[in-house]
Amino acid sequence: MRIDVEDLVLRYGDVTALDRLTLSLEGGKIYGLLGRNGSGKTSLLSVLAAFRKESAGTVRIDGQPVFENAGLTRRVSLIRDVGETIDIGTVEDALYFAEWLRPNWDAEYARTLLDTFGLTPKAKVKSMSKGQRSAMGVLVGLAGRAPLTMFDESYLGMDPPSRYAFYDALLADYMAHPRTIILSTHLIEEVSSLFEEVVIIDHGRLVVHEETQTLLSRGTAVTGPAEQVDTFTHGLTVLGAKQLGPTKSAMLYGDLDDARRRKAVEAGLELGPIAMQDLFIHLTGEPK
Amino acid sequence: MRFPSRLLLANMVFALMLWAGFFVLVVAVTVGIAVFGTLNESVWEKAVQVTRWYALFVGVALVREFLPMYIAHGQTRRQFGAQAAVTVALFAPFLSALMAVGYLLETVLYNLAGRPQALGRAHLYAEPTQVPLVLIEYLVEFLAWIVAGALVGAGFYRWQGGGLLTIPIGVGLVVLAEGAIGTELRLPFLGSLPLRVDLPQSLALTLGTGLGTFLLGLLLVWAVIRDVPLRNRLS
Repeated sequence: MRIDVEDLVLRYGDVTALDRLTLSLEGGKIYGLLGRNGSGKTSLLSVLAAFRKESAGTVRIDGQPVFENAGLTRRVSLIRDVGETIDIGTVEDALYFAEWLRPNWDAEYARTLLDTFGLTPKAKVKSMSKGQRSAMGVLVGLAGRAPLTMFDESYLGMDPPSRYAFYDALLADYMAHPRTIILSTHLIEEVSSLFEEVVIIDHGRLVVHEETQTLLSRGTAVTGPAEQVDTFTHGLTVLGAKQLGPTKSAMLYGDLDDARRRKAVEAGLELGPIAMQDLFIHLTGEPK
Repeated sequence: MRFPSRLLLANMVFALMLWAGFFVLVVAVTVGIAVFGTLNESVWEKAVQVTRWYALFVGVALVREFLPMYIAHGQTRRQFGAQAAVTVALFAPFLSALMAVGYLLETVLYNLAGRPQALGRAHLYAEPTQVPLVLIEYLVEFLAWIVAGALVGAGFYRWQGGGLLTIPIGVGLVVLAEGAIGTELRLPFLGSLPLRVDLPQSLALTLGTGLGTFLLGLLLVWAVIRDVPLRNRLS
């Protein structure tokens, strides 16, 4: 589903969570939505799912306004840690309502995911551990098969094996049933391989929206003798550096043209990719 | 609009289970009174006063639990409002029927034991076996208590502490309905301060006031939830 957001503003009283945010996603991909705490990720997703009404600006999905648009919102799913879709008695109860309210609900797939995540149908959701509640949330999100499915850090409470089971299930189900998926996360390295495009927001504004490979190509690790590395990186944007004995590795941000790359090779330096998390830290500033 | 079959059924099944347990408890108390004291009044009549608070809880839960679930599952507030209204409109008579069945079962027990099933306070009905009047009284009462609960629940969900301001309005709805059936509202800790309105007693007026209270309550709930944002955090 195509998403078009223009000059979107969302305020909570005096606090401006989204500040004239403009963004377009063509849909049919897995998007990573990255941002620091309080950057506006949850606010953006909440507006896209009609959990909240925008204070100003326009939000359109497939060309239609979202808020209170029944024909559209039934095709949109946002799973948050708050647990709106699951805090309704037992696991069975939550599935009973999900099946009834979600037009594309796949009950058989839901049962498979119950086994995958080790969830018990008779268990009371509010008594579950945080990890089990998170697993229950992602189960509802996946089995709902909404054409626009969004997960807002809803899997962070899961332990690593469960998270990887979720990533595997997500990718497999996306391949079988292509749709638009947005993953908001802090576990950037763990999940970045799933992203086809990355959106980074900060202070309620768009910082970056690029294809994952394009974004990653903007960062380069330069490794070699410390003196040569320092000479090569002089005047460039250095995100960080590590040194072990005479060997140094520096992370650069920005495109390196062919001439620069040749110069690095001639100086005996190795060029390699850097992690998306390092780029993210650079793009979103200092620690808060 | 889609019929709210699962919302209604879930509430009905839960209420039926509660009612069954509650009835067994009341029978046990009744037997206790018969054995250790003097049983000459309906125990069910006194016991079922607590069910109004359950009705209030149902109203609160509709907004607190089901509204966020509906929206998170891609339904609109308008769709939820319509389905909740139909649910309340059908659930209240169902709950009233459970009250009437309780009276009838108690009548059988009292007859078997040869005890009088006298009523201790004023009602629309003079005998517990006047089923239509029993149904009407509890219907009017439950409709008001459920929408009052929904209004207060909506108020607290939307404004948190500011939801306190919806309590007097909820109380007003309940007092109006109690007035329509010729009784009063006594709140916990305020027992010496009964809240009442004196309305002329006629069946038509009772039904009209009950319906009016229900519709007014729905209107007020809708005014609160029509653009309510879902909370970002539990509290």
